[in-house]
Amino acid sequence: MLGEPWTLSPAVALRPEPFGAMAYHFGNRKLTFLKRMELVQVVRGLADHADVRAALVAAGVPEAQWPGYVDALAGLAAADMIRPRTMEGAVA
Amino acid sequence: VTSESLIEEVSID
Repeated sequence: MLGEPWTLSPAVALRPEPFGAMAYHFGNRKLTFLKRMELVQVVRGLADHADVRAALVAAGVPEAQWPGYVDALAGLAAADMIRPRTMEGAVA
Repeated sequence: VTSESLIEEVSID
């Protein structure tokens, strides 16, 4: 996943919260709390960076914490909160 | 830092 391009699903709205953000999927009606500001920055930055690794670096996440973040992103992917970015999607 | 400390899924139902 680290070397793959991802992006926020188009059906997801991110609402800033004091603890991070709330992600709501209008399609499957799933709700997920993002409990760290750094994770919010990573998720918001996915579309702007070549891959997950670049988004983690840009958000200032220490490399030692990347496995935890990748697990969290995998959880978000399982809920369709984030999706693999296609080549078409990469050219905005 | 674990997945559980980063995200929490909520059942709206």
